[in-house]
Amino acid sequence: MSTVAETASLERELAAISGEQNVSHAEADTPAINGVVPAVSVSVSSAEQAAAVLALANDRGLVVAPAGGFTQQDIGGVPERVDILLRTERISGIQTYDPGDLTISINAGTTFAEVQAGLAEHKQWLPYDAANLDRATVGGCVATGAAGPLKHAFGGLRDFCIGVQFVTAEGKVAKGGGMVVKNVAGYDLMKLMNGSFGTLGVITRANFKVFPQPRQTRTFVCNFSSLAEAVEFRRRVSQSPLQPICLDIISPGAAEYLCDPQPAKDPDHYAPTQAASKPGSTWQIVLRAAGSDNVLARYGRELGPAVSRTLDSHTKEEDQFWRWVRHFESSVLARHQNAMVMYTHMPIQGVAPALHAMEKAAPDYNFIPAVVGRAATGNLVLAFMPLSVDPPSAMQYANCVSAFRGMLPPGASAEVAHCPKEAKPHFDVWGTTPSDMGIMKAVKKAIDPKNILNRGRFIV
Amino acid sequence: MDSSVIRQLRKIVGHEAVLDRPEELMLYEYDGGIDRSRPGAVVFPSTTEHVAGIMRLAHATKTPVVPRGAGTGLSGGAIARKEAIVLSLARMNKILEIDVENQRAVVQPGVVNLEVSNATTKLGYFYAPDPSSQKACTIGGNVAENSGGPHTLALGVTVNHVTGLEVVLPDGRIVYFGGKAQDSTGLDLTGFFVGSEGTMGVATAITVKLTRSPEHVTTLLAIYNTVQDAANTVVAITQSGITPAALEMLDGWMVRCVEENVHAGYPMDAAAVLLIELEGLKEAVEEQAEAVAAVCTQAKAREVRRARDEKERQLLWLGRKTAFGAVGRVAPAYYTQDGVIPRTKVPATLAEIERISQHYGLIIGNVFHAGDGNLHPLILFDPRNPKQVEDAHKAAQEILACCLNFGGSITGEHGVGIEKMHLMPAMFTEDDLQVMITLRNAYNPESILNPQKIIPDLRYCREITGPLPKPKVEAAPGVRQ
Repeated sequence: MSTVAETASLERELAAISGEQNVSHAEADTPAINGVVPAVSVSVSSAEQAAAVLALANDRGLVVAPAGGFTQQDIGGVPERVDILLRTERISGIQTYDPGDLTISINAGTTFAEVQAGLAEHKQWLPYDAANLDRATVGGCVATGAAGPLKHAFGGLRDFCIGVQFVTAEGKVAKGGGMVVKNVAGYDLMKLMNGSFGTLGVITRANFKVFPQPRQTRTFVCNFSSLAEAVEFRRRVSQSPLQPICLDIISPGAAEYLCDPQPAKDPDHYAPTQAASKPGSTWQIVLRAAGSDNVLARYGRELGPAVSRTLDSHTKEEDQFWRWVRHFESSVLARHQNAMVMYTHMPIQGVAPALHAMEKAAPDYNFIPAVVGRAATGNLVLAFMPLSVDPPSAMQYANCVSAFRGMLPPGASAEVAHCPKEAKPHFDVWGTTPSDMGIMKAVKKAIDPKNILNRGRFIV
Repeated sequence: MDSSVIRQLRKIVGHEAVLDRPEELMLYEYDGGIDRSRPGAVVFPSTTEHVAGIMRLAHATKTPVVPRGAGTGLSGGAIARKEAIVLSLARMNKILEIDVENQRAVVQPGVVNLEVSNATTKLGYFYAPDPSSQKACTIGGNVAENSGGPHTLALGVTVNHVTGLEVVLPDGRIVYFGGKAQDSTGLDLTGFFVGSEGTMGVATAITVKLTRSPEHVTTLLAIYNTVQDAANTVVAITQSGITPAALEMLDGWMVRCVEENVHAGYPMDAAAVLLIELEGLKEAVEEQAEAVAAVCTQAKAREVRRARDEKERQLLWLGRKTAFGAVGRVAPAYYTQDGVIPRTKVPATLAEIERISQHYGLIIGNVFHAGDGNLHPLILFDPRNPKQVEDAHKAAQEILACCLNFGGSITGEHGVGIEKMHLMPAMFTEDDLQVMITLRNAYNPESILNPQKIIPDLRYCREITGPLPKPKVEAAPGVRQ
């Protein structure tokens, strides 16, 4: 939007849709996206209101950024501009939940913490443990496809999302799936929306199948003096009859970030408040198993002397440990505001080569590496901490990413989830993908012909 | 069919790989469903390049193409009209790679479902989705329909087990979605393709997950004097915190029908039985088996039996897996659908099916994935009796209407195809369907590939066929089915 008058007129129209108190303009405390402040922010309370906002935006070719709990907004490219920030946090609440059916329908603005609390009353849960679930919304988590350690056994949200309602760029309220656990009527729009980063529609509701909560779990921490030993152990576990619900790998450098985040005291200062210390050399494989005393005892016997300590679910220790694992990335970013975080996707056998690649690429470009991730799904969270003695230039981020990607095994992809926004214009944060880009672009163009949703932020 | 198209097809795949004589085409008039139509030609590509060549030709000549696997589909997805080419993937039946370390197999679309498990069982792995037709149906067809099966209760359906695809688009381009990795950067094109019923492209290579064979498996048979007690048990088990690997139900009529066919040891006087399978670590399975037996007894099961050995277990499953075939022995024709309901509505829905059965005076047998709420009512009728044919259709419509009233779906695993296309507006709004059409057009803009399926736009027609094709592949020793 070019003029103040246009902005004011847009604000009036948005106020007519969702009420004056739910529209604010840039001068108010509108959160910035990679430093870009949205011209107008509007908070809607229903799919119909979202549809009216999008129809208006589409008509004028205004760029819209959907927003939930603002936990993942910095992922992706720096947008050229954001005309409307479309906030969904007021489309909230659990729509329907019948514990007997093991299904739940949730409005998009609801936080996952609220959902889990409701499920826990009936000893059920969504086996989903991405970071910051006290703020992250259901819509945001589906849109970003974020996941945590439970992905090992249960897959991502895509694997138990059974229905989705969303608003298209043209202002149509559409849905896919339904409220039953098995359903092949129509196209699987749940898969398409999952991880689409708000580029194909604004998610307003999602339905999931829920699971009985395990009565007890135990975590087995196993230490190894080298990556090779850790990976070999992972291989043995994968090929054994054991069925852990989490199977994570933790690099030597990561251990010091597995604690409650310590916020940087001086966010404007370049150097990290605490220098990253020289890492040790212990790699860890951590399993979490669910079952009766008998079953957990069997895990203990099978894993044998590799186990250095165990954490039980009836102690706070286990809960705390996995909370730290989930929040590894937050912990890194709280301490080093210039750190870079990457997410990887690769075949199981790619994990060891990818970790070698990280250990090679990071020091070459003045970073200290640390990693936490799913050892048997190939979903790693890689952190690159800039050496405080020699702050990296924008190009060093680009070169480090390029060097790392160049060493990845075939079929792997890796996106940069976080890095200083100043570095982003110098490289492609999304990188390459094994999936056909032509079709991705065609899908985007078909459903958002004017490219108003999150323009310039995602791979399409 | 235009003879120049036939000539060009022969140029692409060779003379003997194209059928166009009426007596040859007759075999391709039907699939496992009830719709029927004779295609213009059938072509058998052997390579991805063949498929690409055929699609380029189809694209240039605007000839519709209908991909076909084993023809076991139950919704008319492989039915082609007279101006269309049937693209049979039957000759693309090789397992290209078994990669145990990455727990993946790469297969051609014509590989029979059970062959993947047969090929990997010695290595300690299997392919989890197990449709009842797994001895005949192909992985390509499974991908198109997002097929399920009894063991998908715990392990998920086809889409949860496919990570990569090589796809030939309707214009002949060869593209790749995903790979051996669990997921990848960008849109989940693999997940979106699965279940698209051949309307987005032809999968020519499929990367599937291999699942570790469980250490221990046990199967329980719970026997009931009333259908309602069995239905209530289903609700009680899912609420007990145990997720069985499979939870299947057969009503009394089905039990007798199956027992006469395979002598699996089902009690002839039961009103219903539940077949419950538990798998995992030995310790966990033993504990769960005791807990499940207690739940069944509490829910008024007359008796709970446990398969004593693998032979007995296989026999119990043989009864379930051959149920449709068994019905074929006693009735000239049957009509089945696979509506889904929320689990707690199983008792009410079965009562409603019983009412519908009495209303029309038609026998309706029930054998279904109770744990998922995925019904399979088999409506028996005599195709020579027009009144019965009409009533069978009405009864089926009423059952699906009941599923929708309970907040369910018109299909859980068979697909929409031609058969249920007219019911899509009952589940989806015009906007929902328009979005689906818009997305299909991104892949298949001229609807050359599998036209007039899934999303309604033209009238549909239907006739009746008999039971499913016979199994092709037998289980190798030690393979779980």
